[in-house]
This record gives sequence, C-alpha cells and structure tokens, in this order.
Amino acid sequence: MVQENHNSAYKFGMVIDLDKCTGCGSCMVSCMAENNVPFKEDETNKKDSITWMRVYKLTNDKPFPDTEVVYMPRPCQQCGGKGDHGHSPCVSVCPAVATDYGYDTGIVSQIYTRCFGCRYCMGACPYHARYFNWWDPKWPEGMEKYLSPNVSPRMRGVVEKCSFCYHRYQAARDKAYAHGNKDHIKEEDYQTACTTACPAGAIVFGDLNNPAHEVHQIVKPDPHPDPRNKHVAGKSRNPKIFRLLERLGTNPKVYYLSEREWVRKQGDNYLEGEWEKIKNHHGKASHG
Amino acid sequence: MKVDRRSFLGLGIGAVAGIAVSPMGMKLTDDSAIWTQNWPWTPVPVDGKVNYEKSVCSLCPGSCGISVRKIDNRPVKIEGLADHPVNDGGACLHGIAGLQYLYDPARIKTPLKKNGANFEKISWNDAIELVAEKLSNMREKGSPEKLACITDKEQGSVSGLFKRLLKTFGSPEFYTMPSLESYLEITASALHGKGKTIAFDLENASFVLSFGAGIIEGWGSPVSCFKANASRKTRHAQLYQIEPRLSNTAANADRWIPVKPGSEADLALGISSVILKNNLFDSNATSNFKGDLNKLAAVLQKDYSLAKTAKITGVKPDDIKKIATLFAKAEMPVAVFGKGRGDGAQSLKELAAVHTLNCLVGNINKKGGAFVKPNNQYLEFPDVAMDSIAKTGFGKNKTGKYVNQFFEEVNRSSQSLIEALFIYNANPCYTLHDTKKIKKALDKIPFIVSFSSFLDETAMEADVILPSHTFMERFEDVPSSGGLVKTVVGLTRPVIRPLFNTKTPGDSLILIAKALKGNIAKSFPWTTYDKCLESLTSRIWNSLSEDGFAVLSNGMPGDSQPVDVSFLAKNPASLKAQGNYDLTLIPIDNMRLMSAATASSPFAVKTVSDSVLKGKDIVVEINPLTAKGLKNRGFAVLTTPMGKTRVKVNINEGMMPGVIGMVTGLGHTFDNKYVSNKGVNINDLIGQVIEPDSGLDAAFGIKASISKA
Amino acid sequence: MDSALIPEGAKRCPLPKFSIGIAIVSAVLLWGVYAMFLCWFKGLNQTNMNDYYGFALWIWADLAVIAVGGGAFFTGLLKYIFKIDELKNIINFAVIIGFICYSSALLILAIDIGQPLRGWFIFWHANVHSMLTEVAFCLSAYFAVLTIEFIPNILENRQANKVPFFHHLAHNMHGVMAIFAATGAFLSFFHQGSLGGVAGVMYGRPFAVREGLLVWPWTFFLFTWSAAAYGPCFTLLVTKTTEAITGKKLVKDNVIHLLAKISGWMIVTYIIAKIIDTAYWAMVTAPSLGFNLSHFYTDNSFYGYWMLITEIVICGVVPGAILITKSTRENPKLRLVAIILGTIGVCLNRWVMVLQIMAVPVMSFDTWALYIPSWQEIATTVLPVAYGVILIAFAYRYLPVFPQEQELNQVKPVTE
Ligand SMILES: Nc1nc2c(c(=O)[nH]1)N[C@H]1C(S)=C(S)[C@@H](COP(=O)(O)OP(=O)(O)OC[C@H]3O[C@@H](n4cnc5c(=O)[nH]c(N)nc54)[C@H](O)[C@@H]3O)O[C@H]1N2
Ligand SMILES: Nc1nc2c(c(=O)[nH]1)N[C@H]1C(S)=C(S)[C@@H](COP(=O)(O)OP(=O)(O)OC[C@H]3O[C@@H](n4cnc5c(=O)[nH]c(N)nc54)[C@H](O)[C@@H]3O)O[C@H]1N2
Ligand code: SF4
Ligand code: SF4
Ligand code: SF4
Ligand code: SF4
Ligand code: SF4
Repeated sequence: MVQENHNSAYKFGMVIDLDKCTGCGSCMVSCMAENNVPFKEDETNKKDSITWMRVYKLTNDKPFPDTEVVYMPRPCQQCGGKGDHGHSPCVSVCPAVATDYGYDTGIVSQIYTRCFGCRYCMGACPYHARYFNWWDPKWPEGMEKYLSPNVSPRMRGVVEKCSFCYHRYQAARDKAYAHGNKDHIKEEDYQTACTTACPAGAIVFGDLNNPAHEVHQIVKPDPHPDPRNKHVAGKSRNPKIFRLLERLGTNPKVYYLSEREWVRKQGDNYLEGEWEKIKNHHGKASHG
Repeated sequence: MKVDRRSFLGLGIGAVAGIAVSPMGMKLTDDSAIWTQNWPWTPVPVDGKVNYEKSVCSLCPGSCGISVRKIDNRPVKIEGLADHPVNDGGACLHGIAGLQYLYDPARIKTPLKKNGANFEKISWNDAIELVAEKLSNMREKGSPEKLACITDKEQGSVSGLFKRLLKTFGSPEFYTMPSLESYLEITASALHGKGKTIAFDLENASFVLSFGAGIIEGWGSPVSCFKANASRKTRHAQLYQIEPRLSNTAANADRWIPVKPGSEADLALGISSVILKNNLFDSNATSNFKGDLNKLAAVLQKDYSLAKTAKITGVKPDDIKKIATLFAKAEMPVAVFGKGRGDGAQSLKELAAVHTLNCLVGNINKKGGAFVKPNNQYLEFPDVAMDSIAKTGFGKNKTGKYVNQFFEEVNRSSQSLIEALFIYNANPCYTLHDTKKIKKALDKIPFIVSFSSFLDETAMEADVILPSHTFMERFEDVPSSGGLVKTVVGLTRPVIRPLFNTKTPGDSLILIAKALKGNIAKSFPWTTYDKCLESLTSRIWNSLSEDGFAVLSNGMPGDSQPVDVSFLAKNPASLKAQGNYDLTLIPIDNMRLMSAATASSPFAVKTVSDSVLKGKDIVVEINPLTAKGLKNRGFAVLTTPMGKTRVKVNINEGMMPGVIGMVTGLGHTFDNKYVSNKGVNINDLIGQVIEPDSGLDAAFGIKASISKA
Repeated sequence: MDSALIPEGAKRCPLPKFSIGIAIVSAVLLWGVYAMFLCWFKGLNQTNMNDYYGFALWIWADLAVIAVGGGAFFTGLLKYIFKIDELKNIINFAVIIGFICYSSALLILAIDIGQPLRGWFIFWHANVHSMLTEVAFCLSAYFAVLTIEFIPNILENRQANKVPFFHHLAHNMHGVMAIFAATGAFLSFFHQGSLGGVAGVMYGRPFAVREGLLVWPWTFFLFTWSAAAYGPCFTLLVTKTTEAITGKKLVKDNVIHLLAKISGWMIVTYIIAKIIDTAYWAMVTAPSLGFNLSHFYTDNSFYGYWMLITEIVICGVVPGAILITKSTRENPKLRLVAIILGTIGVCLNRWVMVLQIMAVPVMSFDTWALYIPSWQEIATTVLPVAYGVILIAFAYRYLPVFPQEQELNQVKPVTE
C-alpha cells in the first residue's frame, strides 16, 4: 500500500438527492445487471440478499397523517477511513489484502479471487455494504448468456460489494490514455450504472477533487479536517448535505442531500439535545 | 523385505515429512486454491466486441428509448437511451431487467396445443392449420361474430392487424384491456368528444393536484413522469397528493391529503363546488362549456357543500377550501386522475370530476395544464375486403362495451356466445377483478388462441399457443401513450436473433389470414410483418428506422376544446365497495412490481421490500388503530366477500385508519420460481362493480375484515 | 487387554466400559464431523449466519475455547518462568487442555471461512494492519508450541518410553521446556490480545471500538488478561470434572489452592480494569459517537443490562472475591461455584465481544439483528467438546498426566 499524495489523485464520490429519490429501485437493478449480481428463489431475507445498492426506507415515525417517508439509496460508501488516509474500516481489517484502498481513485476494491471468506470486513462495515456469497451463484438455464464480461461473477464463499463500477473507470481510463491524456478522465466518460439509470436524476457522480465536476460543486467538500473531530475530513459546506455516520470518522465519499431536517438527523446518531447544537455546523469554510 | 511396526511407522513419518517439505505440498495447496478461483460451475462470461443498439422498451406503455449493450451478438445490458424524446436517458427497473425476460423460465419455446390438461408441441404449420380450420368452420356456420379478440391496447400496428383480421372475418368483438390510455380516451370522449385523448403537462405545471395518480409509482409513461417530478424541486412547483395511503408519490409530495377510499370523485366535486361558489373559475374557459354547467353548479351547491364533502371524504372543510383556492389561483395548475398506475378499475364519475377541475380553471391546452389532443394516428392501412358474411357479422352488436362486461356476458349467457378467442399481450386471468369468474368465462369459450411469449395464467387456458418473440427479438411500432404530452412513435428492434421457435405476432396473423384464404387473405397482402410495418408507417419510416422514433407532435395543441359536463350534471351516484365488513381493502401499486400482462422479472422481485413480501407471504399495510390485536409482522386472516387468505401484517402509520392496503403484482402461478407463488393476487379478492352509467368496472376496493391467524 | 499401555501402577476402568464411553462421545463427534463436511461441501449456507451476522456461534466458541485454553500458557508461564514449582503437578493437564482448545480453534477457523482452500492466503498475502493476520500467525505458532509441550507427555507413555530415543527425547525436551513456555507465553499474549483487538479496532462499530495504546485497543490487553485470569478456572474445572468422573483425587489441594489463588487475584485485577474500561467506553467513547449506553441494551428481545451485570458482577466480581479469600477459596463447594462462574464469565465476555457487536444497529434507521444458529452450527460447535472429551480420556488412560495420582491413590492389590 503505497500512500500517494491523496489530493493530486482522483477522489470519486457521489451525492444523492433524497428529495428527488423516489425509491423506484432502478439503481438497484441497474447495479445488479451491470455487475452480474445473482438472484435466488427467495430474496425476502434482506440479510442475505446481495444488493450492492440497497434502498432503505426512512420514516419520521410520526403518527398518521403526519407520517413522512424518504428513501435512501446506499451503495458502498467508499470510506476513506479515519482522517481520510485510506484505512477504511473494512480495508484495515482484511487479513489477506483482498480489499484495498485505491489512493489514485479513492475507490475501495474487492478482489474475489483473493478473498477467502473470513467476513471480518463485513463485521467492520457499519453500513452493511458488504455481502457474502452464501450460495453458489446460479442462473436459470440460458440466462447466464446475459452476463457481462466486464465483471467476473463471484464464486461461493467470498465477499462482494459495490465497486463504484470500477470497470467503467477502467474503460474511461483506457479512453483517456487512447486520447493521450491519461490524467484526465472526463466527467461524462466515467459514470456509474446506478447514476445513469436513475430516472429521477437523484444521483450525481464525479471527482470530488475536481472543482469542475458537478459533484464537487454540490458538495463543496471542506479541505480542512473538522475542528470538532480530527478524524473527519471532507465535510460538506452545504448545510443540506450530510454523510452517513460521519461522526465515526469513516469518511464516506457518498453524500446525501435533503431539505428535510429529520432526514439529515437520521444520518447519524445523536445524544439528546446534541442535534440542536450541531445541526448547523458545517465545514469551517462555510463561515467565510 | 519384512515390514515391521517400527519401519512402517518410520515410513509413514518419512512420507508425511517428505511431502511437507517437498514442493509437492505447496504445489497441491496452490493448485487447490487456483481451482477454487476457477470453479467450473461459476460461469465465465465470454468477452468480445462491444456494440450498442437502440430500441424501445415495450414492457409497459411507457415506450422508453433504450440502448442495448452487446458483446458481439449477445445483449448484456439494457439502459435508458439518452436524448430519446420520452425518457432521455433514465429507465425503470423493469426495462433495465429486460434481458431476464429473454431467458425467462416461463417462455414458450414452440407452438403448443392443449391435449387434455397438458400442452403438446406442434409445428407452426399444424398450429396455423388448426386455427384456420376452426375459424373457417365458424364462417361456414355463418357466425363469424363468435370470434373475439382481446389485446392490450387500441394503438399500434399489431392491434391494428388483429382488429383488421376480425373485421374482414366478420366480428366486432375486439376488446382491449383497461389501461390508463383507455381511461384517457373514455374521459376525453365523455367531456370533449370522440377520437381524442388527454395528456398532462407535468413538466411545466406549477401546481399538480393528483387524485391518487401514482406519478412515481408507474403511472403514465413512468420514466417521463419521474423526470417531471424530479424537476419540481428546481422549478419550485408543488404537488398535492390525494389518496388514502402514504404512497411514494404522497411521500415525495409537498402535501399528502388522506381521503376515504372511493371518495376521490366527491372531493373533486367538492373542490369544483368551492371554485364555482367563490368565483375562482376562469370565465374565458367556462365559455367553452356547452350547456349543463348551470345544472352541474346547482347539483354541486346542493350535494357538495363543504360540510357534506368533508363528511364523505374525511378531508377537513378548511383543507378543501384551501386546496380549491391554491389550485384555482396557481399559475399553471393541473388536476391529474387515474389512481395508482391508472390501469386498474376506475369510475367515469371520478375521471370526469377531476378533469372538470382542469376545465373550470381554464388550463386546457395551456402550458403546464391538460392537453386535449387527437388520438395518435400514424398508420395507413389499405382498405379491408369484406364479403357478405363478414359484413353481416361485423354489423352485429358487441357483447359488452368493455372487456369486463364482455366476460360478464359470456358468463351469464346460457348459450355459447363466443366460440373462439384470440388473446394477445393480455392476461385477464390475472389482471382483472374476480379471476375465478374470468377463468370460468374462458372455460365456456371452446377455442382460445394465445399469442403469448410466456406461459402465464391466461396462456395456460389456451387451446393453441402461437408464441410470440419478445420485444427484444422483433420489430414493432410502439406509440407513446399514458398521458404523455408529446406524441411519439418508437421502433422496437430485434437486438438478438430469436432464441426459440417463436414468431412476430404480426407474422402469425398474416399466416392465419393467408390460411383463411379469400377476402381475408386479400386483406393481408404482405409477405411478412416487417414489410407490412414498413408500408403502414411509410410516412414516418425514415425517421423510425434511422432515429428509432418519430415525433408526431411536440407542443401543445393550439385549439380550444368544447366541454360537456352533462354526465356529471346528472349527478351519478358514487359507487360503494362491495360487502358488509368494517374495513376496506384497496390495491397498492408499487413501482417495483409489474401488475399488467407482463409479470415482474426476478431482479424486480428481488428489490421488493420485506414489508411487502416475506418468504411466500404477502404483507398488508394497516394503521395501528385498525390493527387492534394484530402483531406487526404477525400472521392474520384477511376476509372479503370473495374469499379468505392468510397474510402478514405491516402496521404502518402511513395508511389511513379503516383501510387495508395490499400490493398488486404478486401471486402469480406460472412456472418461474423467482417470480411466482409469492403472495396472493389481490384480484382474487376483489369483485367487479360495474358503474351503471359507464359500463366500467369501477371497484376501487372491497369491504374486508382482518383477524389474527 | 490394553494394560500394557496404561501407566505403571495406575488403575483404570475395564476396556469395555471405556470403549462404551468413547463410543457414545464418538457418536456426538461424528455428528459434528458430518455437519463440518456439509459446511465444506455445500458452503456456509448450511448455517444461519447472514450478512449482518458474519461472525456467529462457532466463532464465539472459537474465542471462548482460546480464552479458557489460556490456562495452558499462564500455568506454563508461572511454572517455567516464575518457577512456581507446585504447578508441575497440573502443568501436563493444563497443556493438554490448551492443546485441545487450540486445535479446536484452528479447526473451527477452517470451517468458518468461505474458501477453506484459500485459508493460507492469510499468511501468504498477509496484511500487517489486520488483527486477524496477527491472530492467524500467533495462533498457529502457539499451536506448534503446545504440540511441542504435549509431546514429552505422550512419549512418557509406558510403551513409547521403552524406546530409548523417545525416552531421551522426552527427558531433554523437559529440560528445554522453559524456552518453549516462554515463547508460548509471548505468542499467547499476542494472539489473545489480537483476538481482543479484532473487536476493538472496528471503529465502525461503536459497541466494539475502544481507544488504546499505540496500535492496540484496550480490548487487546483485556483479552490477554482475562484469558490468564479465567484460563486457570477452566483448568481447575476440568481437573475437578476429571476427578469426579474417575472418582479419584488427581491433584493435591495445595496445588489447587495455589492456582485458584493466583486466578482469583488475576480476576480481581482484571475485573477492575474491565470496569474502568466499560465505564470509560460507556461515558466517553460511545457518547462521543452519539450513543447512549441504553442503545446497546434495550429495544430488543435478548440483549439487556442483565448481560452486562452477569458478565461483570456475577461472573467477575463474585468469583474473584471467592478465590482471593482464603476461607472461601479453600471451601470446595464455594471454590467450585467460583470456577464455574469464572468460566461462564469469560465465555460470556467473548459472546458479547463477538455476537452482540453484530446484533447492535449502528445506522439510526437500522434494527437489531438477532439470529438463531442452525443445527449444523451447533453440531460443529459441539464437535470440539466431544473431541476434547475423547482426547482427555485417552490421555488420562494411557499417559502419566497427573504426577500425584499414584501418591494420592495408594494402589491396593489389584484383582484382574
Ligand atoms: N490494450 C491492452 N489490454 C490489456 C493488456 C495490454 O497489454 N494491452 N494486458 C492484459 C493483461 S496481461 C492484464 S493482467 C490486464 C490487466 O488489466 P486490469 O485487470 O484492468 O488491471 P489493472 O489495470 O492493473 O487494474 C487493477 C486495478 O483494479 C482494482 N481491482 C482489482 N480487483 C478489483 C475488484 O475486484 N474490484 C474492483 N472494484 N477493483 C479491483 C485494483 O484496485 C487495481 O487498482 O489487462 C489486459 N488487457
Ligand atoms: N506499470 C505497469 N507495469 C506492469 C503492469 C501494469 O499494469 N502496469 N502489468 C503487469 C502485467 S499484469 C503483465 S502481464 C506484464 C506484461 O508485460 P509484457 O510481458 O512486457 O507485455 P507487453 O509489453 O504487452 O508485450 C511484450 C512484447 O512482446 C512483443 N510481441 C508481441 N507478439 C509477439 C510474438 O508473437 N512473439 C514475440 N517474440 N514477441 C511478441 C510485443 O511487441 C512487446 O514488445 O506487465 C506487468 N507490468
Ligand atoms: S434510481 Fe434514483 S430515484 Fe430510483 S431509487 Fe435509485 S436513486 Fe432513488
Ligand atoms: S461502506 Fe463499508 S465496505 Fe464500503 S468502504 Fe466503507 S466500510 Fe468498506
Ligand atoms: S472476507 Fe475476504 S475481503 Fe473480507 S476480510 Fe476476509 S478475506 Fe478480506
Ligand atoms: S456505483 Fe456501480 S457498483 Fe456501486 S451501487 Fe452504483 S451501480 Fe452498483
Ligand atoms: S417505464 Fe415502461 S417502457 Fe420505460 S423502461 Fe420501464 S417498463 Fe420499459
């Protein structure tokens, strides 16, 4: 693991507008179709159903008719780990380096042929973004013909997760190489399958390090560590944007946007009264 | 050599030590790991050259443009087509999962003939001959009108060919399944005159008053609606959603107004009443009303006062007034009808009452309003040749106005009203209310020909199946529908050579027509459907074949439209739910489940929440106040006048008290273990309630009770 | 029949009776073996584990046996390094128990991983940042040490010892055993610790995470300490059980009292540290991440405060107090109660640090995840117990495990 200068590399990330998200599930299916995710007869035990992208349903828990509901799509958060140094919760625990942090992209990889299925990474991931292949993947007769050669189907006994459609990055990188500009992947050349599928346009994907990219412009990541928590870096300076479990210092690269305060509050855990005190605190550059 | 115990022991120890230190152990260890990385039973997708093909998805009336990624000749992924006039990039989960239909375990691979309870394979020649023989006999007996046909829609060349075959054969019995498109036409016809349809300019409206329309639940052209809805945020447009349940649309709306099930029409009329009483209507627009407006106003003042409306609907008087004011004063208001996906049972009273709101505030054919436009006409059929048998038969009265009535009449009659039935792209045994009755009616029809691609519930009832290519294996024109503002025709193209011994439905029809000889054959002069399609669409063929679509009209219609409210002025009664139980069971349309002729794909079923389907059990939604004594996620028995079923319970504050919600699209019984035998089909539990004035099945739900299992 | 193998002068039950006992336990063993093969050939879908419960019953068993097996390294440390010579009378047995525990632990790990044939990747592609890598290395190395420590005892078998080579080997191995004991203690210290570290480093799991010293979270030290403290309880418990089954006194009271006393003081110091750790975590660590203590113990049907109280007070403070007090320690009944509670306590601690971690929701909208093991998991978890019973039975029957056995059981004329 060579630690390169993080800032000169890409840092791919996402912002999902929860007010636009309809819970339609296109992102889930697009991800499954893109990444050769298998399916089985009964997928209603959501605790063993492989969905790299999972859409959670959040409610404000108020009684009828004041109930509100919001959907929260959850890919792998591509955690940068404490201080955003690349020691993601899952990467730092994997005994066999079967999952690794890409300092050039910010993407957390998963190498199926290396993984020996100890599942320590799953325990370490608080987002439940990791899935174990409890079964051999099986397709109905003939259906394996639709499998894409860009992503290898996983064998039983290994862990898998959202890769930010890494093969699309590779294709974009090849394209950039072919055009003689290997260090500049165009925004439109690398978009994930969930992003392009979303009929509501709720997902915006791109390079968080690149001010020309929409995702950067929406998130406005604070380049300085959070003065309140030294482990947290890249906090959004947009007060409507939050990350899941930001206080743990996992430093996700998936950001969420919502106008609704109760939704933003559910992004993390707060002691009584704490939210009121810190809800308006955003990256310090926001004061300027 | 004598092998004693000691030397044996030594040998053993030596062997073990030898293997351990020799490279062999390492080699074997390494090899075994490499083997696990290449298990022969884990498929390895074949690589090849990447290429993309444009087509159109026809899994639902949405008609989205799609881009199919292929590796050599093998499609591997369906995605929304950027810059397509309908969806511009996105696609819904069903479309994206489209390739799963290609390899669906329930696909019919070759023509089949019913033999007793089972099907047996037959050749195409024999199948066509068999159909032609049965049909010829009917004409010989002079009763061609006993041939009926049910398809999914009026529009498009395939439906056109079915209709044509019936006409030249001599039968008026052409039916389509209920769809949002059909309701739009029925409503337009009732208020504005025949040959028209209605569209809603959701992309521009500044205030959308939706009477349960599942704008993000698959209503209309789903992806187009998703986009329009998402753009509300930047346009600062508002959405008020009126329905008994906190649907996704309601959750996404600016306000959810819970209303008692079945009282939507009354609320719309109550709002009209406020608009009229408080002079909030557009006086220019009311000049388009042809008679009867005063009569309607009188009815409204009498029966739809604030207090009365509030009592019927459960919406507070103040809210009704507020909604009326907001709606009438909005810059670009639009009222939208068609509960859920808009393809279930609807009452004309409700459709008309909601649309009257549009007419009153003068947003007809205005930006952000409701567009009343002529039906999509782009096919140029040559004249039909008809002999005297055909003319007599065709001139007879239809058995029913709509397909529901058709089945009702078939059931009711003691004679054999219908002797042969063609069914294409329709699954009435699953999608219509009271499926048992529908099956009974089908049992009474001696000869049923299905053109289905899948052995679904209705295809199972057929006597002959002439299996069709799926939309990925054939050409077909796909007219946009579902209330879309633009009028677009898309072209579905084969993205893969047909996998099985199936045909394009148009080709099956041409073969049948040719086998029937005479005028009928003459009316089908084409050698193949593909040639037929090209000639029928010759006016737009260039655009269709090059761009994959043709835009017939883009903007809003310029003309004003006459409005006739005589239907409402007669003050038709609102329908009641059937039965005497205390609660009301209503259907829930869920974007992740298909509930029309096309069933859901395995991927789609996989995305369904465990608060909708758990194992093989369907989960119903119920308010905690109604769920007395029931345990969340516990079992319960749900009873309606139609029957009983075991369900699980999801106690949910998002459901109005007194109402039970059950998802549509589950409970299939055909042979696909990933999709079928999960939950129950709500249409088994709800009976038809025909609206007397319109002939529509308008059962919005049914009375029900629920108790601990 | 097998008297030639039985240690000289020792009295053992008749072979048929022994065989019947072994047969019964072997049946249980075979059941476990069957389940083990199901897991290997059909995959881990044979278990009720899921994506929330990636670590479950048998990993708890794994950690528990390692903890209670800690008696071996700690007794070895005391005997060989701190030269507490009385302990030579129980060291053999402690080593055998340790051997059983560690071989079981390795077997469980081999069943637990999704790709057993790739298990060696943990060594080949080792990630030095991972606590599990440390566990794998130390565990394997320590198992090798335990094997070495066990070998002289095997070679002391009456027949084996007749071979001059084996006789001398055993003798010389005893001579250098201090080196192995030291190595073992060192390795043990690290893998017990790294097992604790496994939980403590999971900073995405507020229930597990702990601050610490350099790269080691406090759980690292607490695990080592607790294994040293409670391991001897288990050694004493198994000794007591063996005595009960054989109907003989095998180890002298002064040895027992000494080990119990050491264990007692270790427990007391451990439990003080544990209480401080828990309090700091509950009052500082968890709240800084937005969690109240109640979050971890309410809103579910199983994990309540009872778990915390049982682990720390009933199975920590109580046995500690009993064992450090001379009068209660030397009261056989109370001592038995204390060693049973101690054993339960450390097992409960491992349960909490493996299973409760998985069960607690972290995202505010997530829910508790409880699970019930499948029969295959139970069978595979029982497998090491059956294996342990058999190994102890054979060791006791054929090896001179207890040096004081003869002295304590003066042989009366045998009629055979
Ligand atoms: N034009 C051309 N094409 C070639 C070759 C060539 O010479 N010319 N060479 C061929 C040869 S020999 C090889 S080995 C291949 C190498 O081609 P690739 O397989 O594309 O390998 P790399 O380019 O090294 O990319 C490896 C990256 O993938 C990430 N990665 C690894 N595994 C996973 C995973 O499971 N998930 C995710 N998300 N990321 C993962 C790692 O983080 C690493 O950064 O290219 C072949 N293709
Ligand atoms: N920076 C960087 N280094 C890498 C890698 C990386 O991703 N990044 N990938 C590594 C990997 S996975 C691999 S496999 C290696 C590949 O590295 P190499 O084995 O060096 O492969 P190439 O450079 O692609 O091709 C070798 C040479 O073979 C010549 N050649 C082509 N056909 C023939 C033939 O028929 N006969 C003979 N005699 N010569 C022929 C080509 O012209 C070329 O000069 O690179 C490794 N090194
Ligand atoms: S596709 Fe878009 S709108 Fe649909 S669930 Fe995913 S993020 Fe939400
Ligand atoms: S979300 Fe989970 S799997 Fe993804 S990087 Fe973070 S810890 Fe790892
Ligand atoms: S399951 Fe695989 S990826 Fe996860 S920690 Fe273990 S070896 Fe690493
Ligand atoms: S980024 Fe790619 S892999 Fe990740 S959820 Fe989206 S589609 Fe799936
Ligand atoms: S909305 Fe309808 S037409 Fe569009 S992709 Fe989905 S199923 Fe196909």
